[in-house]
Amino acid sequence: MSTPALKVNELSVWFETGSGKVTVVDQISFSINAGDATGLVGESGCGKTMTAMAILGLLPSSGINVRANGIEVNGRDIHKLTGKQRRAILGRDIAMIFQQPATALDPVFTMGQQISAVYRRHAGGSKQHIRQTMLDALESVGFSEPEDIAATYPHQLSGGMRQLAMIAMATVCKPALIIADEPTTALDNSSRALIIRQLERLQTLHNAAILFISHDLTVVRQLCRNVMVMYCGRLMETSDCQSLFDHARHPYSAGLLSCIPQISRKRPDPVSSIPGQIPAAADLPQGCHFAPRCTRAEAQCRLTVPELDDINGRGAACFRPL
Amino acid sequence: MKQDTWQRLKSDRYGMSGLLVVAVFALVALCVWSGLLGQGWSEVSGDRFESASTQHWFGTNLLGQDILQRTLFGTATAFEVGLMVTLCSSLLGSILGGLAGWYSNSWLDEIILWLKGVLDSIPLYLFAAAVAFALQGSPWAMHIAMIVTFWTTTARIIRGEVIRIKQSEFIEAARAIGLPGLTIVFRHVLPNTFHILLVQATIVFVAAINTEVILSFLGLGIQDGVSWGLMLAESSQEVLAGHFGNFVAAGSSLFLLLMGFNLLADALQDALDTRGEFI
Repeated sequence: MSTPALKVNELSVWFETGSGKVTVVDQISFSINAGDATGLVGESGCGKTMTAMAILGLLPSSGINVRANGIEVNGRDIHKLTGKQRRAILGRDIAMIFQQPATALDPVFTMGQQISAVYRRHAGGSKQHIRQTMLDALESVGFSEPEDIAATYPHQLSGGMRQLAMIAMATVCKPALIIADEPTTALDNSSRALIIRQLERLQTLHNAAILFISHDLTVVRQLCRNVMVMYCGRLMETSDCQSLFDHARHPYSAGLLSCIPQISRKRPDPVSSIPGQIPAAADLPQGCHFAPRCTRAEAQCRLTVPELDDINGRGAACFRPL
Repeated sequence: MKQDTWQRLKSDRYGMSGLLVVAVFALVALCVWSGLLGQGWSEVSGDRFESASTQHWFGTNLLGQDILQRTLFGTATAFEVGLMVTLCSSLLGSILGGLAGWYSNSWLDEIILWLKGVLDSIPLYLFAAAVAFALQGSPWAMHIAMIVTFWTTTARIIRGEVIRIKQSEFIEAARAIGLPGLTIVFRHVLPNTFHILLVQATIVFVAAINTEVILSFLGLGIQDGVSWGLMLAESSQEVLAGHFGNFVAAGSSLFLLLMGFNLLADALQDALDTRGEFI
């Protein structure tokens, strides 16, 4: 098998506080192949964004500890890189798409200037070449008048257009890995569909791997082949999307699926929710973190941490899978 | 964004009248620099203390020099001091303030804040006198004293703004495309403080002209040439004797120009205030 575009091995992120160690990402391992999209889903605060930031190496060095047994992009370990080496690959090999395009774009430069700046920094070339690449990037995300978009400031664009422009910026250097952190959360439904379609297209076009972070399983289903369910810093279930929707093995995944409102039925059931609340990261329950909220939990679940198993390529960290 | 700002400024009547006044004075200063106006400022062209006439609009002074010519030349002096002090102190203030803000709570921030605290604790006129003495009558003594004291306010404002901006997501995004820290400061952080810097610059401009007048009045200012401050210094004796030429000419010019600048600064602040526009 070829080298995966992204391979994360035993990544942990924790804080040292006065009252002890607070773990927000706990020994997670996964890999994404080139041309594949993998969704990372979970409730707010479960460590999704921390995982992305740790992969990029953008967490502040003071107060936050990151340890990994290797984070490889196209076979190259980027975990131990120096600041300068890391800056050379950020934006070129790995690109990030943020949740709020309104605040993630610099308000004082036009879109053209911002996209060109990325390409100039990492690839360079003549003025005409850079401009042409920038316009191509804008065109490739579906803008029919790239010149007009290039001349506008971020606040002159609508939310969906801003996010498209942001995707153009992220893909101008044709990165091997795109990390999208809730790129559709702030958008309305039709813009959301547009963004998903463009991401899908770019993925096939550049053969890029996408790590798609979201709390919305329906969006993940539209874009991703594989999905990972995260809870309190741990991976609860890894699966291909279709199987997860057909039959979730972990009770938490099943709970998440049952929270999706169904609008096709004639008389809808009341939307269910998972009972209880996410425990605070500083005060995680022993054993399986989900046990206190789980209807199937028994004594063993509250004592020992279940490992991810592997049944036909699907994994669930549960003693009593469904 | 630039067009919106101009639209908002244009609809502000006070701001536009301020701009007009400043523009007229600036035109006068340009004409003086290019040798079209005020060249006879040191020439003795009449008797002492002539009253206003068609030949000498504001009369003449003690030596028989034309007061109008001296007022016009004084405009150029005011702009020269104002521009130089504003440019240098804004540059110094935004660089030091930007660095202090970006590296806040580090040793660099501490040093810059300490320097600022020390300079702020020295009274300006005392400091100007000390610099003037140290530089032994150099014509730049006053400029240097003002630049060294005026950058601190600009730096304080810019530092605060930089601390706010550096938490924005677009700075995170700049890191995510692999830009090093200093590049981010100068390319993405400082340009976003420009609207504040512009308003602060007009305020410094006013303060510089004002201070020049006071320092010249005290004999610490302009050494070569004439300024409104020197004219006011002369007039302090003359007014008691009933000669108002210097006082009226220099005083009203100063009042008009500062008034115009203040109106402009106010209007600029309102027009550039885009808070909430990007959210």
